[in-house]
Amino acid sequence: MTNPIIKLENISFAYPGATEKILDSLSLEVYHGDRIGMMAPNGSGKTTLFHTIMGLCRPDSGTIEIFGSPVSTEQEFQAVRSRIGLMFQDADDQLFCPTVVDDVAFGPLNLGLSADEARDRAREVLATLGIADLENAITHRLSGGQKRLVALASVLAMEPSVLLLDEPTAGLDNGVKEKLVKILNHLDISYVVISHEFNFLTAITDRVFSMESGKILSDDEVRIHQHEHMHKLGNHPHKHV
Amino acid sequence: MISEALAQGDSMIHRLDPCVRVVCAFGVSFALALSEQFGVLGLYLVFALVLVALASLGAGPVLKRLKPVLLFVLMIWVILPFTHEGEPLLRLGPLTMTRPGVELCLRITIKSVSILMVFIALLATMTVATLGQALHRLRVPDKLVFLLLMTYRYIAVIQEEYQRLLRAARFRGFVPGTNLHSYRTYAYLAGMLFVRASLRAQRVHNAMLCRGFNGTFRSLDSPLSNRLNPVFMTGVSALTLVLVVTELLWK
Amino acid sequence: MHISEGVLSGPVMMAGAALAVAGTAVGLKKIDYDRIVHVAILSSAFFVASLIHVNLGPSSVHLILNGVVGLLLGWAAFPAIVVALFLQAVFFQYGGITALGVNAVIMALPAVICYYLFSPFLNKGKKTVFAASFLAGAGSVFFSCLVLGFALYLTEKSFFEVSLLVVTANLPVMIIEGIVTGFCVTFFHKVYPEILPRPRGRSNP
Ligand SMILES: Nc1ncnc2c1ncn2[C@@H]1O[C@H](COP(=O)(O)OP(=O)(O)OP(=O)(O)O)[C@@H](O)[C@H]1O
Ligand SMILES: [Mg+2]
Repeated sequence: MTNPIIKLENISFAYPGATEKILDSLSLEVYHGDRIGMMAPNGSGKTTLFHTIMGLCRPDSGTIEIFGSPVSTEQEFQAVRSRIGLMFQDADDQLFCPTVVDDVAFGPLNLGLSADEARDRAREVLATLGIADLENAITHRLSGGQKRLVALASVLAMEPSVLLLDEPTAGLDNGVKEKLVKILNHLDISYVVISHEFNFLTAITDRVFSMESGKILSDDEVRIHQHEHMHKLGNHPHKHV
Repeated sequence: MISEALAQGDSMIHRLDPCVRVVCAFGVSFALALSEQFGVLGLYLVFALVLVALASLGAGPVLKRLKPVLLFVLMIWVILPFTHEGEPLLRLGPLTMTRPGVELCLRITIKSVSILMVFIALLATMTVATLGQALHRLRVPDKLVFLLLMTYRYIAVIQEEYQRLLRAARFRGFVPGTNLHSYRTYAYLAGMLFVRASLRAQRVHNAMLCRGFNGTFRSLDSPLSNRLNPVFMTGVSALTLVLVVTELLWK
Repeated sequence: MHISEGVLSGPVMMAGAALAVAGTAVGLKKIDYDRIVHVAILSSAFFVASLIHVNLGPSSVHLILNGVVGLLLGWAAFPAIVVALFLQAVFFQYGGITALGVNAVIMALPAVICYYLFSPFLNKGKKTVFAASFLAGAGSVFFSCLVLGFALYLTEKSFFEVSLLVVTANLPVMIIEGIVTGFCVTFFHKVYPEILPRPRGRSNP
């Protein structure tokens, strides 16, 4: 087996000033080719976990290895950040440039591409996602669904090795959701996706994890229902004992 | 609420390079503001009207934009001619209109309306996104351009948050009035806007870090080449120069 | 509160522009790259908040809140306010280019002054905080009126009456701004004290 792309070991984290540990001796490994879903209640720390992987929240203890090397300082995180594509829970946080093309090109420009190359890259990604016509649209005038797709484009334009998607389907209608499923299934890239929608997760992932009291419950502990049936809580991951 | 409707057109002005428009708007506005002679001011007024016509904006939207300044002009016509000292021009009962007062009002009227028309014709005809790019190419400091674009970007988001907060307050029976309770409620609403703005700023900053931001702003430059650019630039500069010289010789 | 285009004399206009450029430059220098997003989005909040109308008897006045921005941002309030005023000019044509400098000084200079006068009291008890921010809110409007009146007076001696009128007409606004700023800052204290400037010496404004 190859080395994991992302490896968290015994990570504990509490927000400054708070006593409650949001992450508590959490461990997680993501390998090349993994397509992982995350489904856990509100406030269980999913977003915090993603932010810890990106170095936006610094753990109180534990080690993080990205692409095989340990990362703990801002410099080290800076070096790996652009290779992990984090899509934020609120697209308005992520799309901070005035126009769509500016936004999608922001990452590539920071990677050192020339203006022309960055513009080409942006156009290419927008076309792949089928939203080439939004190129010159003003970001804050987009609909919720369009914002999500542009946010995904802005992440993909960095050509990351792994994607972290934080509730990409929240507030989307079924049409856009299906589009997203198609896009993700055609991407040749590893990803971890947080979602509260079981059907969406099963359509795009191979494994679904959950979180509980600051730890990850992997599918050994959680039997996800791949079969359809009716029973209470049937659309939540749960153990069959 | 913030509309950039005027930026949508496709007139000759709209097709000009934004940098050319910014430079012309600055040049003409300042030259205009510094002029005093009525003859020259009249010519500037015509000049401004021509620019508005070239931008083919239609009288309605332009008048709507001019409403604040027209109200202001109305106000000064009611006050200044009567309070300014000098040679009397007209007696209206106990009030005396003075010649310098009337001249001052006329001057302010022409200047303010013309300056705003120049602004509308040349600057309001581009989106803030384009304007920011133009300022960047004109060597305005990166930080300031970034500040402008970022502020612009989040106005709509925060405006929406405000509407939601206000609606929630109304649903819970808030009826604004002239009393301490209302002022406190508005203070909390405004305070909430600042708090959310600050929290959002942290997330946006994080999002920038995630996409490789390291303190240098890079941007896509897209100069519009247009044969009209040099023509327009030369034309406007020449006209302004003639008006400035006329103004100076007049004295 | 602003001066319309075409009113000011050349020297006053130019002096205003020069002061505004200087203030903006100082402010920008004080903003490092970790803070710039914060300044920008607070400036958006300032823009939106200044569109809030509150009742005043049968009519209404809009909030100004340059005092709040000053307390939150210190020198950085200068460019933040300049940018917001510029955007107001772009969207609503409240002003054009040539009066922008003077108007920026009218709004931003009092904000910075109030930061220096009143922010030292913001980590005290609840009553002190309310009093200090009341004074910051009312004071910044008062200073704004003074600067505005002064600019008019320098332009035309006969504007003296107008200047007096501006100050008196804005007396109720000062009180409202004081109250709103007072409650606003005590609100910060309660829900999100991190937004307030840390005691000076440990961080630069
Ligand atoms: N900046 C912060 N400061 C303090 N506490 C925070 C902060 N952000 C989140 N928390 C707390 O940490 C916990 C986990 O938050 P997190 O956003 O990671 O949850 P989540 O699983 O992503 O929830 P959701 O499904 O609602 O997005 C919550 O209890 C939240 O209140
Ligand atoms: Mg979350």
